[in-house]
Order: sequence, then structure tokens, then C-alpha cells
Amino acid sequence: MNSNIEAGILGGIQVAAVVAAAPLLNGFIKKIKARFQLRQGPPLLQGYRDLAKWLSRSEHIAESSSFVRVLAPAGVLAATVAAVLFVPVFSERTPLPASGDLIVVVGLLALTRALLTLGGLDSGSAFGQMGSSRELAVGALVEPVLLLSLAALALQPQSTRLGDILAFGDAHPREFIGLGWALAAAGFAVVLVAETGRIPIDNPDTHLELTMIHEGMLIEYSGRSLGMLHYAAMIKQLLLAVLLVNLFLPFGMARFDGLPGYALGTTLVVIKVALAGFALAILESALAKRRFFELPDLIGAAAFSAMLGAGVTVLFA
Amino acid sequence: MDDNLLATCMTLLLAACVSSSVPALGRFRPALVLSALASALALAAAVHVTGTGEATTLTLWEPSRYATLELRLDPLGAVFAAIVGGVGLACSVFAVSYARHRPIDDLVYPLFLLMLLVVTCAGNVYTFLAAWEGMALASFALVLGDGAPRPRRQAAIVYLVMTHVATVFVAASFFIVAKESDSAEFARMDGSALSVPLASLAFLFAVVGFGTKAGLIPLHIWLPRAHPVAPSHVSALMSAAMVKTGLYGIARVGLVFLGPGEPWWGIVLMSAGAASAVLGVLYALMERDIKRILAYSTVENVGLITVGLGAAVALRAEGRDALAGAALTAALLHATNHAWFKTLLFLSAGSIQRAAHTLNIDRLGGLARALPATGAATLAGSLAIAALPPFNGFASEWILLRALIGAGGAGGGDAVQLTSLMVAGAIALTGGLAVACFVRMFGIAFLGIGRTPEAVAAREPSPIMAGVLSALAAGCLATGIASAWVVRWLQSVPAAVLGAPAAQASHGGQLALTGGGTFSPVVIAVALIALAPLPWLLARMVFGASSQTQGPVWSTGVAFRSTMQYTGTSFSKPLRLFFGRVLLPERQIEVIYHGASPLPRLVRYSGRVPALFEERLYLPLRALALWSAGRLRLLQSGSVQAYLLYMMAALAVLLVVAQ
Repeated sequence: MNSNIEAGILGGIQVAAVVAAAPLLNGFIKKIKARFQLRQGPPLLQGYRDLAKWLSRSEHIAESSSFVRVLAPAGVLAATVAAVLFVPVFSERTPLPASGDLIVVVGLLALTRALLTLGGLDSGSAFGQMGSSRELAVGALVEPVLLLSLAALALQPQSTRLGDILAFGDAHPREFIGLGWALAAAGFAVVLVAETGRIPIDNPDTHLELTMIHEGMLIEYSGRSLGMLHYAAMIKQLLLAVLLVNLFLPFGMARFDGLPGYALGTTLVVIKVALAGFALAILESALAKRRFFELPDLIGAAAFSAMLGAGVTVLFA
Repeated sequence: MDDNLLATCMTLLLAACVSSSVPALGRFRPALVLSALASALALAAAVHVTGTGEATTLTLWEPSRYATLELRLDPLGAVFAAIVGGVGLACSVFAVSYARHRPIDDLVYPLFLLMLLVVTCAGNVYTFLAAWEGMALASFALVLGDGAPRPRRQAAIVYLVMTHVATVFVAASFFIVAKESDSAEFARMDGSALSVPLASLAFLFAVVGFGTKAGLIPLHIWLPRAHPVAPSHVSALMSAAMVKTGLYGIARVGLVFLGPGEPWWGIVLMSAGAASAVLGVLYALMERDIKRILAYSTVENVGLITVGLGAAVALRAEGRDALAGAALTAALLHATNHAWFKTLLFLSAGSIQRAAHTLNIDRLGGLARALPATGAATLAGSLAIAALPPFNGFASEWILLRALIGAGGAGGGDAVQLTSLMVAGAIALTGGLAVACFVRMFGIAFLGIGRTPEAVAAREPSPIMAGVLSALAAGCLATGIASAWVVRWLQSVPAAVLGAPAAQASHGGQLALTGGGTFSPVVIAVALIALAPLPWLLARMVFGASSQTQGPVWSTGVAFRSTMQYTGTSFSKPLRLFFGRVLLPERQIEVIYHGASPLPRLVRYSGRVPALFEERLYLPLRALALWSAGRLRLLQSGSVQAYLLYMMAALAVLLVVAQ
């Protein structure tokens, strides 16, 4: 019982930490990208200032909008934070270990996509509809990659709970690391890029271009609602980055219990996420955005890689 | 108690048929009221039988030892009887306000319900086949309606042909098992001693025969034709209840009659299910008519349930009974969940038809503001059918994926493990496409602004219809949150069929299977409901109340018009191109110039997604059938001597064979 309470408290702290640190990762990636372009870039904490600005402003709403306008921002943010509940951040512990697993995380992310795209369709603006149409097409392709790359990791521990996967990887690195692991990691990396709306799938820096996906859906939102939707996108980005680094590089994460263990886990996860953010920034600076209709090649390759990863794990592990 | 309930509800349905000759008392037509009452009784009896796990029998008529009319409601059949009862209840109440009065419908509708019910609780082969045939004919009559428009007649005839071809296979499969077990009673039929080739033949016949009724691709072609032309409450009954009888048949033959079976049966079934799921939802995404979208989505959901049944067959053949039980539970849970949301969505289509006089999403728009209750209920149904938490569709998908990932783990043959994982990927793809499909359906029809004057003028058609839709939407949410209790209710089925426990619905409403990783729908629902208002409250506390101004949609500076919006067709264009190699879409662009002017005067665009299975599989088959019929006509010389010769020859052959 005592350890349950401890897990609950530490789990609550880790959810709060992810929610609080999400704009920081965004600022960090922007900063690195700016440096590659020989610019100073916005300050690291710009994300927080933007959020405060949006949240304090009044809203301008479209006459043609319906109850979905209220439902979408609240639902997207709630589902994103709910997904954080089941992701191990500082250790294998999560606040509600028995209430959700990787399938629940995939389901909650799908819920955010459904509500976000409904929000894009709400006013009838063609920009929002274009964004929604593309987001759903990309999302449909990404979903099997996400599930299969995580399922490939779940086969050996015989558990779909993310904390169990992390603990298994930490305890048995030799069995864990292999060809199946590498293929699944490659698949998941593409998921990270696609789901966070980054080059080569989407361009986070554009507005009102015919290439955009995520920003298009937000076009009729302003003020507080817009702030919520941007915030949800930042949390989702950090969530996926943590998933990638913690599940595929779990070493040292689950080893220690008690405060020193958590301190080590915290340090490790901060370093790993920073490296992942750095890698994302390099990718964004080095690559050009692919044409939208070329995306199936990239995501299809990722799906094949994840499928192969799962198959290899079945046959050789 | 259950047999009394069952007998009462059969009597009520017969009374409902008879009452069609009685003039209606205002809007409350006795046939519909009696049907609703009988459905409620059937639901109660079936829920009780599955809950307690004890079968109940009722012999109706026993003219001879071989041809008894016998009902036997066992836990497996009772799950499907409960589906028929529940869907029948909702549809009958809805029809009170929705259906136009036609005496023939009042006669056939209760008869259809009766036959559906008898199929699910038939106690022997004869009763089953008679009811099966009655169900097909009753639904044929309902689809045909007054038979005036040509597409309607064609749809009904395609349906009739397909369903009769299916019956041949069903009967053949039953007879193989019945001959082996020397009994035609379901309780005593057992094909586990059959040789593998013969058992496999019986299994494949059952999959083809029942799969046609269920709408598995490529046997689905009747389904997207027949469902849209029937009245909405009949479509709902066909789509949410009748196709399930096909799945019931597959479960009955594949899991109960044919014993442990072979792993490859399960692999065949899982692959067919996965193909149906992915292709079904892809075709649904290409449709513009709401009922055709829903019909193809039924193909998808039947595919998902078939995957569950296939996984159960494969896992059981390998002796992994606990996982097999979980897969069967997933299939049954999804069957009941699908009944909730598919009834809701088909009935909602009925409301839309009444309100806006069209079901073409490209001619609708903005209905969420005009029909708030229908809109909210349809949104709930759309989220549920797209398998999103906290609705019921997600709970069954969770158990199914969890069972498939478990089946991919150690302990089975490589073929079953690999198939399970690939099918899990296909289900995830289906889930992603289903989100796209139903966001599209809801978003184009209900959001934005109306595209036609009818859509702009639409109003809630009636409080009864809106009430039924709201109740079903509440059901989708409630059974999602309480899915652990629904699973507990289903537990008697895997126990009776496989002797294996279901997904253990343990304390606190949690779903769990063998292996690690559990899911608590209650906690997810509470988290979502608690977290949704939290950011708004926090923002209000920190930054104060926020004011709102209203204005028109920004459309690059010109006045916003309804034609600026995406249509359903343009909305699914990315996916149409992504999956172009599968769908083979066609389009023609014709540019007409006027004189020497370099500017085109007119551009005509037309595009379509061909029904590939009909064009590439069924048309050649039909041509082959006609060709061979033409050849066989040579035998029909018309001379009596020739016919006598045929008889003699047939007799000789029979004598030789019988030796």
C-alpha cells in the first residue's frame, strides 16, 4: 500500500513535470534550428510566453462553429495529458500502473487526432478542412507503425505495460537489443517525426501555406482555445520523445528505487530527450519537406520496418 | 423462466404479424409496439441465459422424431439473441415515429424479428435452416419494399441470389457434421472425430456460407447494395443484428462443432477478417452516401469480429486456451458493441433523411447546429465506431489487440505468431482509417455550413427519434466505461465453448488477460472527464475570464460561401491517392474550348472508385454461369426418349455408386 502511495505521488510529479517541461523542449529545438541557420533565435522560454499570451487573450469565434469548437481544445488537451499518465518518465513507475498500457496510449493519441481534426472541420473553413484531411491520412498510416513498433518490444517481456517493457530492457539488455529492436526503433523514429508535425512530413514554421497540416487545423482558433491546442501539441511532442528514448534506451532507468534512483532517472531522461531534440533539429535543418503525396513511401517503409522488427523478434528472440 | 419468456416473446411477435391487418391507432401501430415488447422480453431472457450460463430448451412442435421444431438458447446463442433483442427494441421504438405506414411492412417486420430470434436460438439443424431461410426472405421483402425504383429491385435480387448460394454451403457444412455425429441436434452435434480433410471442408463451407451473410470480403457485394435501400430501422436491424447471425454460425461450427480444429483454419479466418476490415473501411472512406458508408463500415467491423474468432480457433488448436478465450471474448464483445453504435448511426441516418431529405454528405453540412441532439448522439456513435476511448468500441479493440500481441508471444507455432502480429498491424491501420472515415462522415455532414437549402432548413424531426438516438449514445458510453462488467457477463461463453476463462474482468472494473498490461476503462473515463475542464479552470484562475467576439469564417478576404468548403470526395482524396494501387480510382477531365480562345469554356470532371470485386470477380463469374447454362441447353432436346435415357443413365450411375 505504501509503495502504491509513493508510486502515485512520484507518478503525479512526473506527469506534472512532462506537462511543465513541454514548452521547454519546443524552445530548445527552435533554438538549435536557429543556430544552424546562424540566427540568434527566440529565447528558450519563448514557448511559455506564447502560451501566457494566448491564454490571456479574448477569443474570436466563427459564426458557423458548433459545440465541437468547445469540445475539441478541451478534449485534445485532456486526452494528451491522460496519455502521459501511462508513460514511464523517470523510472518504470507510472501513477496508475494497472489502468493503461501501450494500446491505451495509442488509443488516446488517436482520440486527440479525432478531436483535433473535428475541430479543424468545425467552422467550415477550407484551410481547416485541408489540414484535417491531411492529418487523418498521415495519421491512418502512422497508427500501425506506432502500434507495431511498440508491440515488437512487448513480445519478450510478455507485457504491454510500458513500465514492464522498460524494466525488461534495463534488466536484460542482451536479449532486448537486437535486429528486431533496431527495426522497431527506426519505425518509431518516423512516428515521432510524423506525429510532431516536423520536416519532412509537415513544417511547423509555416502558416497559411498549402503545404501545412497541423497549423491549418488551428486556423479558426484564437486566444485561450488556440493556446490549449498549441500546448497539447507541445505535450504530445515531449510525450513521444520520452517514449522513444525511454523504451528504446531504457538503460539505468529502472535500476534504482528510492530518491537517488529517481534523481539518476531524471538526469538520464533529460539528457536523452535533449539529444533527441537535438537530432530532430538536425533533421529539420538538413532535410527538405517531402511532397505530401510522397509520404506513403516514407511511412510505408517505417511500417515495413516495424512489422519486420516484430517478425524478427518472434523468430529469433 | 427463460423458456416462458422466450415463448411469450415468440407469441407476441406472431401477434404483431397478425395485428398488421388491424388499422393503426394513430401513430402507435400495434405491430411496432408488440415488436418492441417482444424484443425487450427476448433481451431479458438472453441476458439471463448468458449471465447464468445455463441453456434453456423449448420444443415447439414435434411431428416426427426427425423433424422437431426445437429451440435451445445456450450462452453462445444468447449473446446473439441479446443483440437481436436490443437492436429490435431500439429499432421498433424508433420506427413508431420514423416508419411510414405500409401494411406489408407491419406484417414482414415482426416476422423478420421472429426469424432472427429463432436463428439465434434454434436447437437443431432443421429449425435453424428454416429460420435462416425465413430471415433471408423476410429481409428480402423489406429491402424490396414497393420495388418501384430499379436500383432497389436490383439490390434485392443480388441479395437474394447471394443469400441462397450461402445457404447451400451452410447446409452442406451442417450435414457433414450431422452425419458424423448421427444427430441433427445442436446440443449433440460433434465433429471432433471427423477426418482432417472432411472437417476442413466443413469448416471452409461454414466460412463461405456464413461469411456471405456476415459480409466478409469478397462475399460482401450484396451488403452495400441492400442496406442503403431499406428503410433506416430495417437497415439497422440488418446491419447490427442480421449479419451477426453469420458470425454466430462461424463460431457455432468452427468452435463448438469442429472441436479443437487446425491452426491453419484460424490463420485463414484471421486473414479473411483482416482483409475485410482494411478494405471495408477503405471503401467506406470513398462513399458519399451515409448509409453506404455505414454498410461498408459493417464489412469492416465484421472483419474485426472475424479476426477475433479466427484467433480463437488458431489459439485453441494450439492449446493456448486462455488466450483463445480472450480472443473469443473480444469477438463477442465487439459484436455487442457494434450493435450499439451501428444501430445508433443507421437510425441517425434515418433522422437525417427525414430532416434534410438526402443522405449524400456532399449535399449536407452544418447539421450539428440545426439538430443538436442528433448531432451529439451521432458524434458519440462516430467516436465509438472509430474505436476511441472512453467509448465501447475501444474496449473490444483493446482486448482483441491485447490477445493478438499475446498470441504473437512465445508458446505457439511461428505461422500463428507471425499472422497474429501482422493482423494486429492491420487492425491498427483499420483503426486509423476508421477515425478518418467517421471524422469525415460527421465533419462533412454535421459541421461547417449547409451546402443545400434543405440542409440549411433542417430541424430535429421528432423527440422520439432524438430520444432513441440519445439513449443509444449513452449506451455506447456506458458500456464502454463498464466494459469489464459486460465481459463478466460474457464469461459463460468461453467457459462453455472452450472450457477456458475469458479476459478476467477483475476488481474495480479492470480488464486483464494472461501476461502483463491491464486496462481500466473506468479510470480512463474519469481521467478524461476530470482533465477536460481543468485547463479552463486553471486558465480562468490565473488569467481571468476571457471574452469572446463572433465573426464570419476567414476566407482570404472574400465572403464565405458553402461551396468553398471541402466535400466528402475532396476530403478523402489524400487517402484515395495513398491507396491508389488498391482502389484503382478512375477520373476523367474534359476541357472544352470555345473557338480560338485559349481559355477553356467548360471543364467537366468526373471520378469514381470502381467496385473491383463486382467488376473483376462477379461479372466474369456471371458470364461463366450464363455460358455454361447455354451449353447445358444442348441436353434439353425436348424429346421424351432423350429424357427417359437420362433417367436410365442416372439410375445406373446411382446403382454403381451405391454398391
